[in-house]
Amino acid sequence: MIEINNLTKYFGDLCAVDHVDLHVKNEVFGLLGPNGAGKSTIVRILATLQRPTEGTARICGHDVVKDPKKVRSVISYVPQEMALDIKLTGRENVLLYAKLYGIPDRARKVDEVLDLMELSERSGDLVKTYSGGMRRRLELAQALVHEPEVLFLDEPTLGLDVAARKKIWRHISSLREDGISIFMTTHYMEEADEYCDTVAIIDHGKIVALDTPERLKSSLKQDVITINATGNFGGLDLDCVTFSRGDNGELRFLADHGESVLPEISQALLRQGMTIQSMMVRKPTFDDVFMDRVTTSEEDSAFDGYKFRTMLRRR
Amino acid sequence: MSLIRSMWYYFERDLIKWTRWKMTVFAHLVTPAAWLIFVGLTLPVTFTDNYLEYLTPGIMVMSVLFASLQSGSLVIFDKILGFLNKFFAMPSPRESYLFGKILFITFRGLVQATVIFGVAVLFGITVYGVKSILLTYIVLFIFGALFASIATTIALVVDDHDGYAAINAMISMPLFFTSTALMPYDKMPGWLRTVASVNPVSHAIDSARVLLSGGDIPVSEILVLAAGATIVLAICTSVFRRATL
Repeated sequence: MIEINNLTKYFGDLCAVDHVDLHVKNEVFGLLGPNGAGKSTIVRILATLQRPTEGTARICGHDVVKDPKKVRSVISYVPQEMALDIKLTGRENVLLYAKLYGIPDRARKVDEVLDLMELSERSGDLVKTYSGGMRRRLELAQALVHEPEVLFLDEPTLGLDVAARKKIWRHISSLREDGISIFMTTHYMEEADEYCDTVAIIDHGKIVALDTPERLKSSLKQDVITINATGNFGGLDLDCVTFSRGDNGELRFLADHGESVLPEISQALLRQGMTIQSMMVRKPTFDDVFMDRVTTSEEDSAFDGYKFRTMLRRR
Repeated sequence: MSLIRSMWYYFERDLIKWTRWKMTVFAHLVTPAAWLIFVGLTLPVTFTDNYLEYLTPGIMVMSVLFASLQSGSLVIFDKILGFLNKFFAMPSPRESYLFGKILFITFRGLVQATVIFGVAVLFGITVYGVKSILLTYIVLFIFGALFASIATTIALVVDDHDGYAAINAMISMPLFFTSTALMPYDKMPGWLRTVASVNPVSHAIDSARVLLSGGDIPVSEILVLAAGATIVLAICTSVFRRATL
């Protein structure tokens, strides 16, 4: 469905996307990464909103640079910001898209997608009165009105409460069953773990992991040891324990048998004059896969203006 | 064909949004009428016995001018709020968005001008037949399209709402006061006369004034305005194409 070869995008000197290769089948594909890792840039290139500096991307066989019109006729793109006309009704918002797409028999089609997204009852109300979850579903209804083959979702559940997020995911999963390929970005590890067929982790514009969530998790066989301690950490010289990262007084280690090395680690830390508040051993989660592969710290990534504006608009 | 159709749908979107907010519509229509009444009925001018009749074309053009220049913010909001990203990921021609916007901005200016004209008729200005009014509207339409194109071009380049508002204020007032809206050329100081004679706002006002007072069609003035509108629209389209890729 989507073939990305050697895709690269520079903004001035900054390399936002660095020679990325991806092949996406008919599936729910999740692109994960920290802020500023290049997720949205890839989606924007695929949605023909930006041109790559180098490399190619094809969607259903159409090249995004040479054949953008054909690409646009088979895709739908839902950006992070909820761009809905709040002074129009839900139905009018969808109707605009049906008209622009040139849908025949559009009244019926609009009713159908509104019904699919469980918005029929409120379709005559101004969008101003809609909750965040309803607005996102309305955007999905807009996106579905021309029956796309590929749906691009940029952070579809950002800023929604748990119930609304669950509902969005239920809809996304059922769209996948209807044969629509879904390419999405997300911050939420547990969502990617639960709902995506394939996950790619991107960091500094490069793909650092690509597999099913299960296999990515099983690649981390070791236990994760988390220790909250104060004092200066001077390194640890123990076999079969590797230091993973430390910040805000929290140290993380990886070890094959967490429980059995715990006493040795604690003794070593105490010898260094550290005070230990708590220790914990657990099996790796998808978060750990992410932390393990990603090196961008939050301070490095640029301020996210989009998110800021989204916050402002919600007030 | 799909360009025209999509343009109409974008126009329709803005129109519904505008009319749904009754208070906004009211405010947009009252402001220019207030200009006409407060300036037209109060200024102690000596060059004419019917200043209101003299002023009406000027205020009609002014309302189109201000309406056009302010409306560039519609483009800025569509851009910052993410609408453009959604629209431009659709197969309909991207230019249809731009032309729909320019059409709406021009249309809204014409509605305001109509209110002015209505108020002026109530106050008893002389009306010289349907033909003169129709031709005046053609002049206003060309003029509106010219400034709607300027406004959208600025909006595409500036990209920031406060910056846009500042630029709008900076150009709209001088354009109005250096035109023939308030006084004829022969009552102006020399320097102002020079500026006014090259100001496109004066050209529109002079044409509208000749037409509304039953004079001959000012062909050359209209052609100059039309040529200007065409050139600016072409520049605007090319800026738009560059800004959206």
